[in-house]
Amino acid sequence: MKEAVTRVRLVYIGGAVGLLIGLAVILTVPVRLARGQEEVTSKIYRYRERVATGYYEGYEVSPRRARAILETPGIKRGLFPYGSSSAMVRIRARLPDSHKGLKFYYRNTCIECHPEQARNIHSVRAGITCRQCHGPEPIPAINHYYSAMNTIRRHSYVCAKCHEGATAAFASFYVHEPPAASLETRESFPALFYTYWGMLLLLVGTLAFFIPHSVMVGLRELSEHLSFSVPHTLMVGLRDVFKKLVFFMSHSFLAGFRKFSQKLSFFKPQNFLAGYRKLFKKKEAFKNETDNAP
Amino acid sequence: MLLKRFNRIQRLFHLFLIITFLIQAGTGFGRLFITTDFGRSLTSIFGGYETAIVVHFWVGILMMAGFTVHTIYLVTRINRRDLVNSILGPDSLVLGPQDAQHLFQRILWTMGFGSSPQLDRWAYWEKFDYWSVFWGLPLLAVTGIMLKFPLLTTLFLPGWALNISGLLHRAEAILAASYIFIVHFFIGHLRPASFPMNEAMFSGNVPLEEAVKEKPAWVERLRQEGRLLELMKVRPPALWYRVLYFVFGYTALGFGIYILINGIVYGRYIQLH
Repeated sequence: MKEAVTRVRLVYIGGAVGLLIGLAVILTVPVRLARGQEEVTSKIYRYRERVATGYYEGYEVSPRRARAILETPGIKRGLFPYGSSSAMVRIRARLPDSHKGLKFYYRNTCIECHPEQARNIHSVRAGITCRQCHGPEPIPAINHYYSAMNTIRRHSYVCAKCHEGATAAFASFYVHEPPAASLETRESFPALFYTYWGMLLLLVGTLAFFIPHSVMVGLRELSEHLSFSVPHTLMVGLRDVFKKLVFFMSHSFLAGFRKFSQKLSFFKPQNFLAGYRKLFKKKEAFKNETDNAP
Repeated sequence: MLLKRFNRIQRLFHLFLIITFLIQAGTGFGRLFITTDFGRSLTSIFGGYETAIVVHFWVGILMMAGFTVHTIYLVTRINRRDLVNSILGPDSLVLGPQDAQHLFQRILWTMGFGSSPQLDRWAYWEKFDYWSVFWGLPLLAVTGIMLKFPLLTTLFLPGWALNISGLLHRAEAILAASYIFIVHFFIGHLRPASFPMNEAMFSGNVPLEEAVKEKPAWVERLRQEGRLLELMKVRPPALWYRVLYFVFGYTALGFGIYILINGIVYGRYIQLH
Protein backbone atom coordinates (compact mmCIF):
# COMPACT_ATOMS: atom_id res chain seq x y z
CA MET A 1 0.00 0.00 0.00
CA LYS A 2 2.72 2.41 1.06
CA GLU A 3 4.76 1.46 -1.99
CA ALA A 4 1.81 2.14 -4.27
CA VAL A 5 1.37 5.56 -2.70
CA THR A 6 5.06 6.34 -3.22
CA ARG A 7 4.78 5.20 -6.83
CA VAL A 8 1.75 7.35 -7.48
CA ARG A 9 3.47 10.30 -5.84
CA LEU A 10 6.52 9.69 -8.04
CA VAL A 11 4.32 9.71 -11.14
CA TYR A 12 2.75 12.99 -10.01
CA ILE A 13 6.10 14.61 -9.34
CA GLY A 14 7.44 13.34 -12.66
CA GLY A 15 4.38 14.73 -14.44
CA ALA A 16 4.71 18.11 -12.73
CA VAL A 17 8.42 18.38 -13.56
CA GLY A 18 7.67 17.35 -17.15
CA LEU A 19 4.96 19.99 -17.38
CA LEU A 20 7.33 22.67 -16.11
CA ILE A 21 10.03 21.60 -18.59
CA GLY A 22 7.45 21.62 -21.38
CA LEU A 23 6.30 25.12 -20.44
CA ALA A 24 9.91 26.31 -20.35
CA VAL A 25 10.50 24.81 -23.82
CA ILE A 26 7.35 26.49 -25.18
CA LEU A 27 8.49 29.82 -23.74
CA THR A 28 11.82 29.57 -25.55
CA VAL A 29 10.13 29.19 -28.95
CA PRO A 30 10.20 32.66 -30.52
CA VAL A 31 6.82 34.09 -31.31
CA ARG A 32 6.22 34.33 -35.04
CA LEU A 33 6.09 38.00 -35.83
CA ALA A 34 3.55 39.02 -38.40
CA ARG A 35 4.80 40.39 -41.67
CA GLY A 36 4.61 44.08 -41.00
CA GLN A 37 6.07 45.84 -43.96
CA GLU A 38 3.69 44.55 -46.61
CA GLU A 39 0.39 45.75 -47.85
CA VAL A 40 -2.75 43.80 -47.13
CA THR A 41 -6.07 43.62 -48.87
CA SER A 42 -8.84 45.82 -47.68
CA LYS A 43 -11.43 43.51 -46.24
CA ILE A 44 -14.64 45.15 -47.26
CA TYR A 45 -14.22 47.88 -49.81
CA ARG A 46 -11.99 48.22 -52.77
CA TYR A 47 -12.06 51.64 -54.27
CA ARG A 48 -11.27 51.06 -57.92
CA GLU A 49 -10.35 54.54 -58.91
CA ARG A 50 -7.47 53.42 -61.07
CA VAL A 51 -7.20 50.34 -63.24
CA ALA A 52 -6.46 47.20 -61.30
CA THR A 53 -4.07 44.85 -63.06
CA GLY A 54 -4.87 41.79 -61.04
CA TYR A 55 -1.18 41.31 -60.45
CA TYR A 56 -1.44 43.30 -57.24
CA GLU A 57 -4.06 41.02 -55.74
CA GLY A 58 -1.81 37.99 -55.92
CA TYR A 59 0.89 39.74 -53.97
CA GLU A 60 -1.27 40.77 -51.07
CA VAL A 61 -1.27 39.19 -47.66
CA SER A 62 -4.53 38.30 -46.02
CA PRO A 63 -5.53 40.71 -43.27
CA ARG A 64 -5.15 39.87 -39.65
CA ARG A 65 -7.74 42.13 -38.24
CA ALA A 66 -11.35 42.55 -37.34
CA ARG A 67 -12.76 46.04 -37.28
CA ALA A 68 -14.70 47.11 -34.23
CA ILE A 69 -16.50 49.98 -35.91
CA LEU A 70 -19.31 48.57 -37.96
CA GLU A 71 -20.37 51.06 -40.54
CA THR A 72 -20.68 51.52 -44.24
CA PRO A 73 -18.19 54.26 -45.06
CA GLY A 74 -19.75 57.20 -46.76
CA ILE A 75 -23.28 56.07 -46.13
CA LYS A 76 -23.63 56.08 -42.42
CA ARG A 77 -22.18 58.71 -40.16
CA GLY A 78 -23.34 58.86 -36.59
CA LEU A 79 -26.68 57.51 -35.61
CA PHE A 80 -28.62 58.79 -38.60
CA PRO A 81 -27.83 57.58 -42.09
CA TYR A 82 -28.29 59.74 -45.09
CA GLY A 83 -28.58 58.77 -48.72
CA SER A 84 -25.65 57.67 -50.85
CA SER A 85 -25.82 60.69 -53.16
CA SER A 86 -25.67 63.22 -50.34
CA ALA A 87 -22.95 61.16 -48.72
CA MET A 88 -20.76 61.64 -51.79
CA VAL A 89 -21.00 65.36 -51.27
CA ARG A 90 -20.65 65.46 -47.54
CA ILE A 91 -18.14 62.71 -46.89
CA ARG A 92 -14.68 63.52 -48.08
CA ALA A 93 -13.18 60.28 -46.86
CA ARG A 94 -12.20 59.10 -50.34
CA LEU A 95 -10.78 62.16 -52.06
CA PRO A 96 -7.09 62.44 -52.99
CA ASP A 97 -7.18 65.84 -51.28
CA SER A 98 -9.73 65.61 -48.52
CA HIS A 99 -9.88 69.38 -48.06
CA LYS A 100 -10.32 70.17 -51.71
CA GLY A 101 -12.45 73.25 -52.35
CA LEU A 102 -12.77 74.36 -48.74
CA LYS A 103 -12.77 78.11 -48.45
CA PHE A 104 -10.00 79.77 -46.43
CA TYR A 105 -8.50 76.33 -45.82
CA TYR A 106 -4.93 77.61 -45.53
CA ARG A 107 -5.88 80.07 -42.79
CA ASN A 108 -7.20 77.36 -40.46
CA THR A 109 -5.54 74.92 -38.11
CA CYS A 110 -6.68 71.29 -37.99
CA ILE A 111 -8.23 71.62 -34.54
CA GLU A 112 -10.47 74.51 -35.54
CA CYS A 113 -12.56 72.17 -37.67
CA HIS A 114 -11.81 68.87 -35.90
CA PRO A 115 -11.78 69.81 -32.21
CA GLU A 116 -12.84 66.38 -30.97
CA GLN A 117 -9.95 64.72 -32.82
CA ALA A 118 -7.45 66.59 -30.65
CA ARG A 119 -8.50 64.48 -27.71
CA ASN A 120 -6.42 61.43 -28.49
CA ILE A 121 -3.70 59.61 -26.63
CA HIS A 122 -0.99 60.39 -29.20
CA SER A 123 -1.28 64.14 -29.08
CA VAL A 124 -2.20 64.44 -25.38
CA ARG A 125 0.49 62.14 -24.07
CA ALA A 126 3.22 62.04 -26.67
CA GLY A 127 2.72 65.50 -28.17
CA ILE A 128 2.44 64.16 -31.71
CA THR A 129 0.96 66.61 -34.19
CA CYS A 130 -1.77 65.79 -36.72
CA ARG A 131 0.56 65.97 -39.71
CA GLN A 132 3.05 63.51 -38.28
CA CYS A 133 0.54 60.77 -39.07
CA HIS A 134 -1.85 62.29 -41.59
CA GLY A 135 0.94 63.59 -43.79
CA PRO A 136 1.75 66.89 -45.51
CA GLU A 137 -0.50 68.84 -47.88
CA PRO A 138 -2.49 67.74 -49.70
CA ILE A 139 -3.77 65.50 -46.92
CA PRO A 140 -5.38 62.55 -48.67
CA ALA A 141 -8.57 61.09 -47.30
CA ILE A 142 -7.94 58.00 -45.19
CA ASN A 143 -10.06 55.88 -47.51
CA HIS A 144 -8.35 57.06 -50.64
CA TYR A 145 -6.74 54.05 -52.24
CA TYR A 146 -3.23 55.50 -52.40
CA SER A 147 -3.32 57.19 -49.03
CA ALA A 148 -0.66 56.19 -46.52
CA MET A 149 -3.44 56.23 -43.94
CA ASN A 150 -5.52 53.67 -45.82
CA THR A 151 -6.04 50.66 -43.59
CA ILE A 152 -4.43 48.38 -46.13
CA ARG A 153 -1.03 49.97 -45.51
CA ARG A 154 -1.46 52.21 -42.49
CA HIS A 155 0.43 49.85 -40.20
CA SER A 156 3.58 49.90 -42.35
CA TYR A 157 3.49 53.49 -43.65
CA VAL A 158 2.32 55.30 -40.52
CA CYS A 159 2.36 53.19 -37.35
CA ALA A 160 5.69 51.50 -38.02
CA LYS A 161 7.44 54.87 -38.11
CA CYS A 162 7.49 54.68 -34.31
CA HIS A 163 6.14 51.22 -33.44
CA GLU A 164 8.64 49.02 -35.18
CA GLY A 165 7.06 45.81 -36.44
CA ALA A 166 3.51 47.16 -36.36
CA THR A 167 1.01 44.79 -37.93
CA ALA A 168 -2.35 45.40 -39.57
CA ALA A 169 -4.00 44.15 -36.41
CA PHE A 170 -1.94 46.59 -34.36
CA ALA A 171 -3.08 49.40 -36.64
CA SER A 172 -6.71 48.67 -35.86
CA PHE A 173 -6.18 50.39 -32.49
CA TYR A 174 -8.41 53.46 -32.31
CA VAL A 175 -6.14 56.42 -31.82
CA HIS A 176 -9.14 58.74 -32.09
CA GLU A 177 -11.15 56.82 -29.53
CA PRO A 178 -14.83 57.74 -29.65
CA PRO A 179 -16.30 59.09 -26.39
CA ALA A 180 -17.06 55.85 -24.59
CA ALA A 181 -20.25 56.98 -22.91
CA SER A 182 -22.10 58.31 -25.93
CA LEU A 183 -24.97 56.53 -27.65
CA GLU A 184 -23.22 56.91 -30.98
CA THR A 185 -20.45 54.70 -29.63
CA ARG A 186 -23.01 52.01 -28.90
CA GLU A 187 -23.54 51.79 -32.64
CA SER A 188 -19.95 52.22 -33.75
CA PHE A 189 -17.87 50.58 -31.00
CA PRO A 190 -20.25 48.58 -28.78
CA ALA A 191 -17.50 46.79 -26.84
CA LEU A 192 -16.10 50.11 -25.59
CA PHE A 193 -19.56 51.44 -24.78
CA TYR A 194 -20.61 48.42 -22.74
CA THR A 195 -17.24 48.13 -20.99
CA TYR A 196 -17.49 51.78 -19.95
CA TRP A 197 -21.03 51.60 -18.65
CA GLY A 198 -20.45 48.22 -16.99
CA MET A 199 -17.43 49.52 -15.08
CA LEU A 200 -19.19 52.76 -14.21
CA LEU A 201 -22.17 50.84 -12.88
CA LEU A 202 -19.83 48.68 -10.80
CA LEU A 203 -18.03 51.73 -9.39
CA VAL A 204 -21.17 53.68 -8.63
CA GLY A 205 -22.93 50.60 -7.25
CA THR A 206 -20.06 49.68 -4.93
CA LEU A 207 -19.63 53.21 -3.58
CA ALA A 208 -23.37 53.88 -3.41
CA PHE A 209 -23.71 50.87 -1.17
CA PHE A 210 -20.57 51.05 0.93
CA ILE A 211 -20.35 54.78 1.68
CA PRO A 212 -23.82 55.00 3.29
CA HIS A 213 -23.13 51.65 4.96
CA SER A 214 -19.90 52.95 6.51
CA VAL A 215 -21.51 56.21 7.58
CA MET A 216 -24.44 54.39 9.20
CA VAL A 217 -22.16 51.97 11.03
CA GLY A 218 -20.00 54.88 12.15
CA LEU A 219 -22.96 56.85 13.47
CA ARG A 220 -24.30 53.85 15.30
CA GLU A 221 -20.96 53.11 16.92
CA LEU A 222 -20.58 56.78 17.79
CA SER A 223 -23.93 56.72 19.53
CA GLU A 224 -22.69 53.79 21.63
CA HIS A 225 -19.44 55.54 22.49
CA LEU A 226 -21.02 58.82 23.56
CA SER A 227 -22.59 58.97 26.98
CA PHE A 228 -25.09 61.79 26.63
CA SER A 229 -28.58 60.94 25.53
CA VAL A 230 -29.06 63.06 22.42
CA PRO A 231 -27.79 60.45 19.97
CA HIS A 232 -30.05 57.91 21.61
CA THR A 233 -33.16 60.04 21.13
CA LEU A 234 -31.94 60.76 17.64
CA MET A 235 -31.71 57.05 17.02
CA VAL A 236 -35.19 56.54 18.43
CA GLY A 237 -36.49 59.34 16.26
CA LEU A 238 -34.79 57.87 13.21
CA ARG A 239 -36.27 54.52 14.06
CA ASP A 240 -39.76 56.01 14.20
CA VAL A 241 -39.24 57.73 10.89
CA PHE A 242 -37.98 54.49 9.41
CA LYS A 243 -40.94 52.56 10.81
CA LYS A 244 -43.34 55.07 9.33
CA LEU A 245 -41.52 54.92 6.03
CA VAL A 246 -41.65 51.14 5.93
CA PHE A 247 -45.32 51.20 6.88
CA PHE A 248 -46.10 53.80 4.24
CA MET A 249 -44.18 51.97 1.56
CA SER A 250 -45.65 48.58 2.32
CA HIS A 251 -49.12 50.11 2.55
CA SER A 252 -48.86 51.90 -0.75
CA PHE A 253 -47.37 48.84 -2.36
CA LEU A 254 -50.19 46.64 -1.13
CA ALA A 255 -52.79 49.22 -2.14
CA GLY A 256 -51.26 49.44 -5.57
CA PHE A 257 -51.22 45.70 -5.87
CA ARG A 258 -54.88 45.56 -4.90
CA LYS A 259 -55.79 48.11 -7.53
CA PHE A 260 -53.74 46.24 -10.06
CA SER A 261 -55.45 42.95 -9.20
CA GLN A 262 -58.79 44.71 -9.64
CA LYS A 263 -57.68 45.87 -13.03
CA LEU A 264 -56.82 42.32 -13.92
CA SER A 265 -60.56 41.62 -14.20
CA PHE A 266 -60.36 43.60 -17.43
CA PHE A 267 -58.89 40.54 -19.01
CA LYS A 268 -61.95 38.44 -18.42
CA PRO A 269 -63.53 38.15 -21.90
CA GLN A 270 -66.91 39.62 -21.06
CA ASN A 271 -65.36 42.56 -19.23
CA PHE A 272 -62.94 43.04 -22.07
CA LEU A 273 -65.75 43.18 -24.61
CA ALA A 274 -67.76 45.51 -22.42
CA GLY A 275 -64.81 47.79 -22.01
CA TYR A 276 -64.18 47.76 -25.71
CA ARG A 277 -67.81 48.55 -26.44
CA LYS A 278 -67.68 51.44 -24.03
CA LEU A 279 -64.58 52.78 -25.69
CA PHE A 280 -66.13 52.36 -29.10
CA LYS A 281 -69.27 54.19 -28.04
CA LYS A 282 -67.19 57.05 -26.68
CA LYS A 283 -65.39 57.34 -29.96
CA GLU A 284 -68.65 57.22 -31.84
CA ALA A 285 -70.05 59.99 -29.70
CA PHE A 286 -67.00 62.10 -30.28
CA LYS A 287 -67.27 61.55 -34.02
CA ASN A 288 -70.92 62.51 -34.06
CA GLU A 289 -70.13 65.63 -32.13
CA THR A 290 -67.47 66.67 -34.57
CA ASP A 291 -69.66 65.84 -37.53
CA ASN A 292 -72.49 67.91 -36.22
CA ALA A 293 -70.25 70.83 -35.47
CA PRO A 294 -70.91 73.83 -37.69
CA MET B 1 -5.90 40.71 27.28
CA LEU B 2 -5.06 40.25 23.65
CA LEU B 3 -6.26 37.74 21.09
CA LYS B 4 -4.20 36.69 18.12
CA ARG B 5 -5.93 37.46 14.82
CA PHE B 6 -3.31 37.53 12.07
CA ASN B 7 -0.08 35.59 11.82
CA ARG B 8 3.21 36.98 10.58
CA ILE B 9 2.77 35.84 6.95
CA GLN B 10 -0.67 37.40 6.65
CA ARG B 11 0.57 40.70 8.05
CA LEU B 12 3.51 40.60 5.65
CA PHE B 13 1.14 40.08 2.71
CA HIS B 14 -0.89 43.08 3.83
CA LEU B 15 2.19 45.27 4.27
CA PHE B 16 3.42 44.20 0.84
CA LEU B 17 0.05 45.07 -0.66
CA ILE B 18 -0.01 48.50 1.02
CA ILE B 19 3.41 49.46 -0.32
CA THR B 20 2.95 48.12 -3.84
CA PHE B 21 -0.61 49.43 -4.13
CA LEU B 22 0.39 52.93 -3.10
CA ILE B 23 3.32 52.97 -5.52
CA GLN B 24 1.03 51.75 -8.32
CA ALA B 25 -1.57 54.35 -7.42
CA GLY B 26 1.04 57.11 -7.31
CA THR B 27 2.67 56.24 -10.63
CA GLY B 28 -0.56 55.29 -12.38
CA PHE B 29 -2.66 58.26 -11.32
CA GLY B 30 0.31 60.54 -11.83
CA ARG B 31 0.39 59.49 -15.47
CA LEU B 32 -3.38 59.65 -15.83
CA PHE B 33 -3.35 63.24 -14.55
CA ILE B 34 -0.13 64.24 -16.32
CA THR B 35 -1.75 67.21 -18.04
CA THR B 36 -2.49 68.79 -14.65
CA ASP B 37 -0.25 70.18 -11.89
CA PHE B 38 -1.32 67.38 -9.58
CA GLY B 39 -0.17 64.70 -12.02
CA ARG B 40 3.14 66.40 -12.66
CA SER B 41 3.92 66.76 -8.96
CA LEU B 42 2.85 63.18 -8.29
CA THR B 43 5.00 61.70 -11.07
CA SER B 44 7.93 63.87 -10.00
CA ILE B 45 8.10 61.75 -6.82
CA PHE B 46 8.75 58.73 -9.02
CA GLY B 47 11.16 60.40 -11.41
CA GLY B 48 8.89 61.95 -14.02
CA TYR B 49 6.55 60.74 -16.72
CA GLU B 50 8.93 58.32 -18.43
CA THR B 51 10.41 56.80 -15.28
CA ALA B 52 7.03 56.43 -13.60
CA ILE B 53 5.92 53.84 -16.15
CA VAL B 54 9.08 51.78 -15.58
CA VAL B 55 8.43 51.85 -11.84
CA HIS B 56 4.77 51.03 -12.48
CA PHE B 57 5.67 48.05 -14.65
CA TRP B 58 8.24 46.50 -12.32
CA VAL B 59 6.18 47.04 -9.20
CA GLY B 60 3.31 45.45 -11.11
CA ILE B 61 5.51 42.41 -11.82
CA LEU B 62 6.37 42.32 -8.11
CA MET B 63 2.69 42.52 -7.24
CA MET B 64 1.88 39.63 -9.56
CA ALA B 65 4.65 37.57 -7.96
CA GLY B 66 3.18 38.41 -4.56
CA PHE B 67 -0.26 37.43 -5.81
CA THR B 68 1.09 34.08 -7.02
CA VAL B 69 2.80 33.43 -3.69
CA HIS B 70 -0.39 34.41 -1.88
CA THR B 71 -2.46 32.05 -4.03
CA ILE B 72 -0.05 29.20 -3.29
CA TYR B 73 -0.30 30.07 0.40
CA LEU B 74 -4.08 30.05 0.09
CA VAL B 75 -4.07 26.59 -1.51
CA THR B 76 -1.83 25.21 1.25
CA ARG B 77 -4.36 26.45 3.83
CA ILE B 78 -6.97 24.05 2.43
CA ASN B 79 -7.29 20.99 4.59
CA ARG B 80 -7.77 18.06 2.21
CA ARG B 81 -9.13 15.78 4.92
CA ASP B 82 -11.88 18.24 5.76
CA LEU B 83 -12.41 19.86 2.38
CA VAL B 84 -15.95 21.18 2.76
CA ASN B 85 -15.40 22.74 6.18
CA SER B 86 -12.08 24.32 5.25
CA ILE B 87 -13.57 25.96 2.14
CA LEU B 88 -17.07 26.82 3.32
CA GLY B 89 -16.52 26.86 7.09
CA PRO B 90 -16.29 29.88 9.40
CA ASP B 91 -12.48 30.13 9.11
CA SER B 92 -12.74 30.52 5.35
CA LEU B 93 -13.09 33.80 3.47
CA VAL B 94 -15.54 32.31 0.96
CA LEU B 95 -18.82 34.22 0.92
CA GLY B 96 -21.82 32.26 2.11
CA PRO B 97 -25.52 32.74 2.71
CA GLN B 98 -24.89 33.70 6.34
CA ASP B 99 -23.04 36.81 5.09
CA ALA B 100 -26.18 38.09 3.38
CA GLN B 101 -28.05 37.51 6.62
CA HIS B 102 -25.36 39.33 8.63
CA LEU B 103 -25.46 42.23 6.19
CA PHE B 104 -29.21 42.56 6.52
CA GLN B 105 -29.05 42.26 10.30
CA ARG B 106 -26.24 44.79 10.56
CA ILE B 107 -28.07 47.35 8.43
CA LEU B 108 -31.13 46.94 10.63
CA TRP B 109 -28.87 47.30 13.68
CA THR B 110 -27.49 50.62 12.42
CA MET B 111 -31.06 51.89 12.32
CA GLY B 112 -31.81 50.69 15.81
CA PHE B 113 -33.55 47.40 15.13
CA GLY B 114 -32.35 44.29 16.93
CA SER B 115 -28.77 43.51 17.84
CA SER B 116 -25.54 43.38 15.90
CA PRO B 117 -25.09 40.08 14.05
CA GLN B 118 -23.08 37.28 15.64
CA LEU B 119 -20.08 37.70 13.38
CA ASP B 120 -17.52 34.94 13.11
CA ARG B 121 -13.86 35.32 12.24
CA TRP B 122 -14.44 37.27 9.03
CA ALA B 123 -17.16 39.90 8.73
CA TYR B 124 -18.86 40.30 5.38
CA TRP B 125 -17.13 43.64 4.69
CA GLU B 126 -13.74 42.02 5.30
CA LYS B 127 -14.62 39.25 2.86
CA PHE B 128 -15.70 41.85 0.32
CA ASP B 129 -12.40 43.71 0.79
CA TYR B 130 -10.47 40.53 0.21
CA TRP B 131 -12.29 39.31 -2.89
CA SER B 132 -12.39 42.70 -4.56
CA VAL B 133 -8.59 42.77 -4.43
CA PHE B 134 -8.44 39.13 -5.46
CA TRP B 135 -10.27 39.67 -8.74
CA GLY B 136 -8.95 43.19 -9.32
CA LEU B 137 -5.28 42.23 -9.27
CA PRO B 138 -5.38 39.68 -12.14
CA LEU B 139 -7.58 42.01 -14.21
CA LEU B 140 -5.10 44.87 -13.76
CA ALA B 141 -2.19 42.53 -14.42
CA VAL B 142 -3.61 41.11 -17.68
CA THR B 143 -4.73 44.47 -19.08
CA GLY B 144 -1.46 46.06 -17.96
CA ILE B 145 0.63 43.44 -19.75
CA MET B 146 -1.54 43.83 -22.84
CA LEU B 147 -0.87 47.58 -22.84
CA LYS B 148 2.84 47.16 -22.12
CA PHE B 149 3.36 44.75 -25.03
CA PRO B 150 0.96 45.96 -27.72
CA LEU B 151 2.77 44.27 -30.60
CA LEU B 152 2.66 40.92 -28.86
CA THR B 153 -0.99 41.39 -27.91
CA THR B 154 -2.04 42.22 -31.47
CA LEU B 155 -0.60 38.94 -32.71
CA PHE B 156 -3.54 37.32 -30.97
CA LEU B 157 -6.12 40.06 -30.67
CA PRO B 158 -7.26 42.94 -32.87
CA GLY B 159 -5.88 46.36 -32.03
CA TRP B 160 -9.12 47.70 -30.65
CA ALA B 161 -8.75 45.20 -27.79
CA LEU B 162 -6.09 47.63 -26.55
CA ASN B 163 -8.69 50.39 -26.38
CA ILE B 164 -10.82 48.09 -24.24
CA SER B 165 -7.96 46.96 -22.04
CA GLY B 166 -6.86 50.56 -21.49
CA LEU B 167 -10.35 51.49 -20.42
CA LEU B 168 -10.60 48.44 -18.15
CA HIS B 169 -7.21 49.17 -16.57
CA ARG B 170 -8.14 52.76 -15.77
CA ALA B 171 -11.65 51.93 -14.60
CA GLU B 172 -10.53 49.10 -12.34
CA ALA B 173 -7.75 51.27 -10.91
CA ILE B 174 -10.21 54.06 -10.14
CA LEU B 175 -12.62 51.55 -8.60
CA ALA B 176 -9.91 49.97 -6.43
CA ALA B 177 -8.40 53.28 -5.35
CA SER B 178 -11.70 54.93 -4.53
CA TYR B 179 -12.84 51.88 -2.56
CA ILE B 180 -9.58 51.65 -0.61
CA PHE B 181 -9.21 55.39 0.02
CA ILE B 182 -12.82 55.92 1.04
CA VAL B 183 -14.34 52.74 2.45
CA HIS B 184 -11.36 50.71 3.58
CA PHE B 185 -9.68 53.69 5.25
CA PHE B 186 -12.94 54.57 6.96
CA ILE B 187 -13.25 51.05 8.33
CA GLY B 188 -9.60 50.90 9.36
CA HIS B 189 -9.14 54.36 10.84
CA LEU B 190 -12.20 56.56 11.19
CA ARG B 191 -14.86 54.15 12.44
CA PRO B 192 -15.35 54.82 16.18
CA ALA B 193 -14.65 51.15 16.98
CA SER B 194 -11.22 51.35 15.36
CA PHE B 195 -10.30 55.03 15.79
CA PRO B 196 -7.49 56.18 15.57
CA MET B 197 -6.26 53.05 13.87
CA ASN B 198 -7.14 49.37 13.75
CA GLU B 199 -3.87 47.86 14.88
CA ALA B 200 -4.77 44.22 14.23
CA MET B 201 -3.17 44.12 10.80
CA PHE B 202 0.18 45.41 12.11
CA SER B 203 0.45 44.04 15.63
CA GLY B 204 -1.49 40.87 14.81
CA ASN B 205 -3.60 41.13 17.96
CA VAL B 206 -6.98 42.47 18.90
CA PRO B 207 -8.07 43.38 22.42
CA LEU B 208 -10.26 40.59 23.77
CA GLU B 209 -13.16 42.86 24.70
CA GLU B 210 -13.20 44.29 21.18
CA ALA B 211 -13.30 40.76 19.73
CA VAL B 212 -16.09 39.75 22.08
CA LYS B 213 -18.06 42.83 21.12
CA GLU B 214 -17.62 42.66 17.37
CA LYS B 215 -16.98 38.96 16.67
CA PRO B 216 -18.83 37.10 19.45
CA ALA B 217 -19.37 33.93 17.42
CA TRP B 218 -15.63 33.66 16.74
CA VAL B 219 -14.65 33.92 20.40
CA GLU B 220 -17.40 31.51 21.37
CA ARG B 221 -16.23 29.00 18.75
CA LEU B 222 -12.62 29.30 19.94
CA ARG B 223 -13.76 28.69 23.51
CA GLN B 224 -15.70 25.59 22.51
CA GLU B 225 -12.76 24.27 20.50
CA GLY B 226 -10.48 25.00 23.45
CA ARG B 227 -8.17 27.23 21.42
CA LEU B 228 -9.00 30.48 23.12
CA LEU B 229 -6.30 30.33 25.80
CA GLU B 230 -3.75 29.20 23.24
CA LEU B 231 -4.51 32.22 21.02
CA MET B 232 -4.38 34.55 24.01
CA LYS B 233 -0.72 33.72 24.68
CA VAL B 234 0.54 36.80 22.86
CA ARG B 235 2.65 39.71 23.96
CA PRO B 236 1.56 43.28 23.33
CA PRO B 237 3.63 45.02 20.61
CA ALA B 238 6.75 46.90 21.66
CA LEU B 239 6.51 50.66 21.88
CA TRP B 240 8.98 51.36 19.05
CA TYR B 241 7.05 48.96 16.80
CA ARG B 242 3.79 50.62 17.71
CA VAL B 243 5.18 54.06 16.94
CA LEU B 244 6.56 52.73 13.66
CA TYR B 245 3.31 51.30 12.41
CA PHE B 246 1.33 54.34 13.51
CA VAL B 247 3.65 56.57 11.52
CA PHE B 248 3.55 54.20 8.55
CA GLY B 249 -0.23 53.81 8.68
CA TYR B 250 -0.84 57.54 8.82
CA THR B 251 1.65 58.13 6.01
CA ALA B 252 -0.27 55.66 3.86
CA LEU B 253 -3.54 57.28 4.87
CA GLY B 254 -2.26 60.73 4.03
CA PHE B 255 -0.94 59.64 0.67
CA GLY B 256 -4.26 57.98 -0.18
CA ILE B 257 -6.30 60.99 0.87
CA TYR B 258 -3.95 63.25 -1.12
CA ILE B 259 -4.57 61.20 -4.26
CA LEU B 260 -8.31 60.96 -3.60
CA ILE B 261 -8.93 64.66 -3.03
CA ASN B 262 -6.71 65.81 -5.87
CA GLY B 263 -8.21 63.16 -8.14
CA ILE B 264 -11.68 64.53 -7.45
CA VAL B 265 -10.57 68.14 -7.84
CA TYR B 266 -8.53 67.64 -11.00
CA GLY B 267 -10.81 64.99 -12.51
CA ARG B 268 -12.49 67.55 -14.74
CA TYR B 269 -9.24 68.73 -16.28
CA ILE B 270 -7.96 65.46 -17.70
CA GLN B 271 -8.53 65.15 -21.42
CA LEU B 272 -8.64 61.37 -21.67
CA HIS B 273 -10.98 59.34 -19.56
